[in-house]
Amino acid sequence: MELVLANLVNGISFGMILFLIASGLSIVMGLMGIINLAHGALYMVGAYAGWTIAVQWKMNFALAVIVGGIAGALVGLLIERGFLRRLYKQPNEQVLLTFGFVYILSNLVIWIWGGHRRLQFTAPILYGSMEIAGMPFAKDRLAIIAIGAIIAIALWYLQDKTRIGAIVRAGMDDKEMTTGLGINLDFIFTVVFLFAAFIAGCAGVIGAQLIGAYSWLGTDILLYSLIVVVVGGLGSVQGSLLGGLVIGLIDTFGKALFPQFAMFTIYLAMIVILLVKPSGLLGRKS
Amino acid sequence: MTLPNERETSRRSGQSLLIRFTPFIAGALVLCILPALVPTYVRNIWTKFVVFALFASSYDLIYGHTGLLSLGHAAYFGAGGYTVAALMLHYNIDSLWVGLPLGVLVAAFISAIFGFMALRVSGMYFLLVTFAFGELLYSVTWNWKWLSTPGMQGISGLLRPNLGIPGFRWNTINFYYFVLIIFLLCFYLVYRIMNSPFGHALRGIRENEPRMQSLGYNTWLYKYLAFIITGAFAGVAGTLFAYYNRFISPTHVGVVTSFMPMIMVIIGGSGTLLGPVIGALIIVFVEYFSSLFTPERWPLILGALFVAAIMYARGGVGIHLTKLWRKLNYRYGSSKG
Amino acid sequence: MEALKVKGLTKAFGGVHALSDVSFSVNVGERLGIIGPNGAGKTTLFNLINGQLPPSYGKIHLFGIDITHSPTYRRAHLGQSRSFQITSLFLNLTVLDNTLITLHGLRSSRFHMMRSTTTYIALHTRARELLTLIDLWEHRDELVKNLSYGEQRRLEITLTLALEPKLLLLDEPSCGLTTAESAEITDMLKNLGRDITILLVAHDMDLVFGVADRIMVLHYGKIIVEGVPEEIRVDSRVREIYMGCADNAGTITTG
Repeated sequence: MELVLANLVNGISFGMILFLIASGLSIVMGLMGIINLAHGALYMVGAYAGWTIAVQWKMNFALAVIVGGIAGALVGLLIERGFLRRLYKQPNEQVLLTFGFVYILSNLVIWIWGGHRRLQFTAPILYGSMEIAGMPFAKDRLAIIAIGAIIAIALWYLQDKTRIGAIVRAGMDDKEMTTGLGINLDFIFTVVFLFAAFIAGCAGVIGAQLIGAYSWLGTDILLYSLIVVVVGGLGSVQGSLLGGLVIGLIDTFGKALFPQFAMFTIYLAMIVILLVKPSGLLGRKS
Repeated sequence: MTLPNERETSRRSGQSLLIRFTPFIAGALVLCILPALVPTYVRNIWTKFVVFALFASSYDLIYGHTGLLSLGHAAYFGAGGYTVAALMLHYNIDSLWVGLPLGVLVAAFISAIFGFMALRVSGMYFLLVTFAFGELLYSVTWNWKWLSTPGMQGISGLLRPNLGIPGFRWNTINFYYFVLIIFLLCFYLVYRIMNSPFGHALRGIRENEPRMQSLGYNTWLYKYLAFIITGAFAGVAGTLFAYYNRFISPTHVGVVTSFMPMIMVIIGGSGTLLGPVIGALIIVFVEYFSSLFTPERWPLILGALFVAAIMYARGGVGIHLTKLWRKLNYRYGSSKG
Repeated sequence: MEALKVKGLTKAFGGVHALSDVSFSVNVGERLGIIGPNGAGKTTLFNLINGQLPPSYGKIHLFGIDITHSPTYRRAHLGQSRSFQITSLFLNLTVLDNTLITLHGLRSSRFHMMRSTTTYIALHTRARELLTLIDLWEHRDELVKNLSYGEQRRLEITLTLALEPKLLLLDEPSCGLTTAESAEITDMLKNLGRDITILLVAHDMDLVFGVADRIMVLHYGKIIVEGVPEEIRVDSRVREIYMGCADNAGTITTG
């Protein structure tokens, strides 16, 4: 029973991390029509930046999270403003471009932070476990779930209840109409892209407690988040959340129950969705 | 950009004849004669270039001509290589006449399955799914112990293919020509496909798929066939690679290797015949030079090259060469003598 | 014999009904003009008939065959041909390539992978005929995007006819053309044989009234009125819709 619970907690917390990354990826895909393949790399950059703050300079973990987010946002700004913007209306080229950045960022990270070791670090106050209803739970996992839930609610609120959320959703449905209403969609694009990058960077530090940081984290986590987007559906917070939790749980339990089959459980999930409901569980467009 | 008046080119001065045939002479030199004369290590790189030229040219069929961006194409490349390797490892079969066809079949079969599922979605999703399938195969080669020499990842100790000719021994020169011949054969087939009604239809689909449908084309079938054909040729390249490299590993199935034909096509020029070949030449040799001076920074250089190519060399080197070529032809090919 | 029969055709996008319960039929050889203000559902109707969109309800029969759920390409093989409102030629391909691709569309040779397109002599001859007719043979190696708009339109209409369709769907064929060019199109359509059935959507009233045997008026996704041109010309409902009445004797002109 304890084992099931431990896996449950691991699965949900992993799912939360995936949700954080996938939500940014999904909104950018839905709004701008491009897949930011470097999104995973932004997560990775955040993780490394956070490591520097939290471990190397031994500063506050919360600060590390913010710095991680800023690092992600800065790189995102560079990519979007410096390059993506110039490839207006060429989605294939934009996607390829982001792929090129994965290479650049992964190698830069090795150059700056050295080697291929896996850096895993936790906030000092989250060391150890706490008891709930007589069962021990790892504090950092619980914290991840809590933070993830808070951000999920905040994002959902942004999406459904605010004007900016309405603009983004309108932009996803009909770009021309939205521009026709006098809204500067270009600016919104940049804002959304930066916001997604910021969250990815923060997630990198938060998730480092679970996954750590290493130089090919960029592609690993990208793969997971892409599958989350396929399974959960494009363009909505709910889709990313559901997809994230589903994949997080399937992956964790899959690895626990069938260790030889490692990644296959999530590929299977993706294949099932592709065959049965290609637009994803909560997909916006059919 | 039309070539000038037909009258001009009929004025055959010796100078214009030379100009017209220069690329072919250069090509023949570069491909057929030079490699026999250079040092062995250069020849090895040349062989690698030819293998990747095949990989890149076939990739352009689905990318440049059909307009489908497929990541994860190394899956079919690696499938070919692993087939040959597994045959050698477990069944001691090193015959070319078994290895190559089987490698192509396996690659085509896998691309048929993956392609079918990937084509259920379109645009960005398609990209995503092909990427995931590539990683799926990477996982398989990493985890399935049967696909590895015991104690390591991947299969090592591969031999050069057995041609069944008694007394025949391989060296780097005849191996290069062997690879070259297969490349030329496949390249010729790809060339035929590109110029056929099927190839034209692919380009039509790239330009405007709904219109193609209202003209009577079953566009799904075309895309599917193009995907499988590309996969099959990738399989050929993969088997050649296994013979060349004598070692195949999960890396050759993963995203890093998938990236190679993409960057070669972009740099060399997509949708053209020679673009991918030129791109392969550039990348393989830049990689070699990078390995001499800054091996750890190679991915960074590759990524930076890629970004630069996308931003600035839009048509790829191939287009610029073609334009240059036309300019030369016009200026010199039409002179009075 | 009915070339096209549409029953109860409805298309809803969420809560919006682009088309509501549209029913009509067209006899072989007839020319049906479809007019209506912007947003009336004319292009949606074409998209449904041609298969680019699936209907929410209703049925479509082409020459007696139920094509409601047939894919677009199969409808082409049954004799449908469609021109698009926005030029949909292959802009980055040459004029000749565009023509050859079009001509291959209904032939089994469209799957050939090993023969060069230059070896299909019959098709090349036909391409030459067609292109010479519209003065584009000399430009056959030019990219379509480098042609003038009028030339592109001419090419598109010609290619639409090149497939020898039995049912021709023309969506705003004279859109963006000069009066002279429109008149050319009108004449060309008038001279087409009666074995071709034509559905024509247009805002150019000279074109519609010059070609159509019958006219159907769409508004907010419904058929408002149907009849011969003379009836439509003087119908008060139609005048109301267009809000731009000429005097009694004149033709309806759009505002």
